[in-house]
Amino acid sequence: MMLSRVRWRVGVTATLALSAVAVPRSLFAQGLRGWTGTTIQAVDLRPFQLTSSGCPSSATCYVQGDDVTSVVGTQDLSVTAWGFGPQGLSATLYARGRTGFGSEAPWPRSGDHFDALLAYVQLVRGGWTVRAGRQEIRSGLGFSSFDGGSASWRRGPFNFEGYGGRSLARGLRDPANEALRGIEDFVPDQSIYLWGGSSRVRLRTTSATLRYQREILSDRSGLASERASLDVTAALPRVRFTGAIDWDFGLERLGKSHLTALTPFADGRWTVSATVRRYVPYFSLSTIWGFFEPVSYTETQARVGWSPVSRVGLWMSGGRRSYGDAEVTVVLRPLEDTGWRGEAGGSWAVSSAWRLDGRYEVEWVPGGFLSSADASVRWSPLERVSMAVTGMSLQQIEQFRVGDGRARGVGFSIAADVTDRLSATGGASVLRHSMSDGGLASPWNQSRAWTSVRVRVGEDPGLANRRGEAGR
Amino acid sequence: MRRRSGVRAVGGAAGVVLAVAAGALALAGSPGGASQEDPFPHADHQGLFPVCSGCHAGVADGEPDRYYPPPGQCVGCHDGVDEERVTWTGASARASNVIFEHVDHASELEGAGDAALSCETCHSDLDTGRMSVDGAEELDTCWSCHAHERVDHYEASAADPCVSCHVPLAESGLDGARLRVLPAPEVHAGDEFLLVGHGPSAEAELGRCATCHVQDQCVDCHVDGTQSSIAALPVAPATMDFPPLESSYPVPSTHDVQGFEAAHPVTDGATCSTCHTSDDCASCHLTPLPDVAAGLPSRSESTAPGAALESAAPATHGSFFFVETHATLAAAEPSTCATCHTESYCVDCHDGPSDGGYHPPGFVSLHPSSAFGQAQECASCHNTAAFCRECHQEVGLGSTGRLGPGYHDAEPLFLLRHGQAARQSLESCASCHQQTDCVQCHGVLGAFQVSPHTEDFDARAAWARSPSTCLACHVSNPVGGGP
Repeated sequence: MMLSRVRWRVGVTATLALSAVAVPRSLFAQGLRGWTGTTIQAVDLRPFQLTSSGCPSSATCYVQGDDVTSVVGTQDLSVTAWGFGPQGLSATLYARGRTGFGSEAPWPRSGDHFDALLAYVQLVRGGWTVRAGRQEIRSGLGFSSFDGGSASWRRGPFNFEGYGGRSLARGLRDPANEALRGIEDFVPDQSIYLWGGSSRVRLRTTSATLRYQREILSDRSGLASERASLDVTAALPRVRFTGAIDWDFGLERLGKSHLTALTPFADGRWTVSATVRRYVPYFSLSTIWGFFEPVSYTETQARVGWSPVSRVGLWMSGGRRSYGDAEVTVVLRPLEDTGWRGEAGGSWAVSSAWRLDGRYEVEWVPGGFLSSADASVRWSPLERVSMAVTGMSLQQIEQFRVGDGRARGVGFSIAADVTDRLSATGGASVLRHSMSDGGLASPWNQSRAWTSVRVRVGEDPGLANRRGEAGR
Repeated sequence: MRRRSGVRAVGGAAGVVLAVAAGALALAGSPGGASQEDPFPHADHQGLFPVCSGCHAGVADGEPDRYYPPPGQCVGCHDGVDEERVTWTGASARASNVIFEHVDHASELEGAGDAALSCETCHSDLDTGRMSVDGAEELDTCWSCHAHERVDHYEASAADPCVSCHVPLAESGLDGARLRVLPAPEVHAGDEFLLVGHGPSAEAELGRCATCHVQDQCVDCHVDGTQSSIAALPVAPATMDFPPLESSYPVPSTHDVQGFEAAHPVTDGATCSTCHTSDDCASCHLTPLPDVAAGLPSRSESTAPGAALESAAPATHGSFFFVETHATLAAAEPSTCATCHTESYCVDCHDGPSDGGYHPPGFVSLHPSSAFGQAQECASCHNTAAFCRECHQEVGLGSTGRLGPGYHDAEPLFLLRHGQAARQSLESCASCHQQTDCVQCHGVLGAFQVSPHTEDFDARAAWARSPSTCLACHVSNPVGGGP
């Protein structure tokens, strides 16, 4: 199986390379847009080890193991090229390579050395858009990646879309039966095929998209998922509504949903929003998790943002959460089924060179309590250079974990647009953890460092607002 | 006979006056009079010349070459002995955009039985005499007969169009200095004239525009100068020093509505190309541009600069809470996002950003409660098994396959109480536990055989949809029959 993955990846890479060689005129004559980024991250920490010796009050406990350093390098390449001759034809590639640099503790996914995140050709002609290759659908159902084809047709306010192909594991870019083998139980032997469609209408400032999506095992022996979603936005003169709801046909239940009303007033200096949200996790039917029937929670949330002057922004939010009946017998006292969340923050652009940001968050939900704060000071001595110092502190009490603890950390970062097309960022942080419950576990201190260099090619207006800024 | 010729001379002189006056009117634009310095000091020569036609003989004869005296005529007195010499090289008839010939005008007066006009009628104040010519023509004299039916000289009138008196400006031969002082009618003031007024006017009365404008001026603002009304305007001759118009692009009211930046569907770019180049589109739209945008002239192709737009985030992005609300916007109208953003922009964050930035500082320590509370949907970006569990295992927190004390030591009876926690946040469980951990107890061959299903669980439907998953816990078809 591993061999087939390697063959497939080599095949994709070779195809792309041959395409580049076969049509050099297109790559240079018409247009090329993209960027490449190189990132190196490192963390130093002491992983936990479960032990039965020396535990103060139980048979086993966690202690800190030896100090380990984990380093990972990531190389991204995102390119869109067009001008292959036929008008509207373009090719897109977003590839990522990773490697761990001899780390004692491998970075998550660092063993997955190559991912073609996106790799497709696209033809836009009139109201039609047709794609073939590795692509991604972003919708109210979340992110769905697949190798296949899609076609959409737009006429006036209407847009219709259909797509299908081999499904890729969520959050990964490999077929689920291959990507999860060895790290997940009950992985299907066969591929999963995905197909779906959507219809969209936009009337003035109101948009609605209805989507249906189904994933089936390649031998048709079972479903992986069958869901539908409706996403709506409506920008009325004073209020913007966003709402979404999805339905899981596989588990015959309502999925996630939310309705948010947001209104700015006083010339936009105030923003108020209210949200009612229902959350229930989504699991593929190829796992047992969905059949364990997780319960949903409903949260009502209110938010206020205030910008008293142009350089100052303040905001706060609060929400109450209520879980559904878990329908389980609980020994002794039951767990909480309600929770609260609150958050407040602000930013102050003292001058064009100085900026202060701060945030405080408190959560009191079933399973834990969290109180955390962070603040940063950013200094931009030059238009293209910024530096930031960040501090954070948290207290965390978790009912089901190794214990309660506090942490304090400080970090430094720097970002520079070396040229119009070259930017670099880097930073380091340390976090010191102290346990507060009598030694059930050892502190989990960490030191981190990272650096990243990004080079842009061509014009990409969407990146205009993402130029380097330290302390993001 | 002598008398008749005298009348003709006077009439001719009057014609000269009217011609100059009308020209000055067109140039200075003030019906009350123009201020143009008299190049010849008529007042200093008071009494020397008995009649105007002595110097301006061509006026009466209709010979422009003799409108002004030859330079040699001055030398008769300014010989350097009696009078100092003067340097004057002669003059020719002044260019004008007025359709006027002194001879014809005199004939018309005569034919109409009207009295002939003297030169001073138009060229000087009747009270101060003939030689008080100062270059400021007495335009009221023109209006006394030729007054428009309307008060405003520049007001449009089908019955009294500009072309009845004026030639197109491109044919006038006016020099740069005079062109620069062309008056702007009151109706031209304000943005509304630019936005909605002048276009229909040009379509309806192109000749009126041509009185004061040339095509070259239109394309100082119009990006696309191929419109029929523009193309029909005369082009300024190469010898004409025409001052360019200062381009101005006021924002139309149609653009000043909520959500315009996100919804400006166009079927053709004819209207857009009045003010916008394809470069404007490219300031937001990704290249390759949509067909309509690509069809607009580029900035390098256009003589007009265009509105020169700069990319700016739409109003939705300015919200304090945009990060939290953008998902639904993107799901409901993804093509709007795709206008400015490449897919890599989304993937860059949602596939685990390589350079951080989304989560607050120290998030790795903060994330347990966030993950348990699902304030953010971790699975939007992370694969539970390949990211969460892999990392948890690396740091010693992943399940080792045994279910005993350890991680949940803070809650000694957790095993007996875990059902509610699991149903409340099963994703958190799955970030450390594999499915077989649960099957150890919940499977039909497990230690306790505790059903994980609620009373409402539809086993038949589950079996119909995913029998292989049922068999993970059940050794055979749980709803009857073999697997």
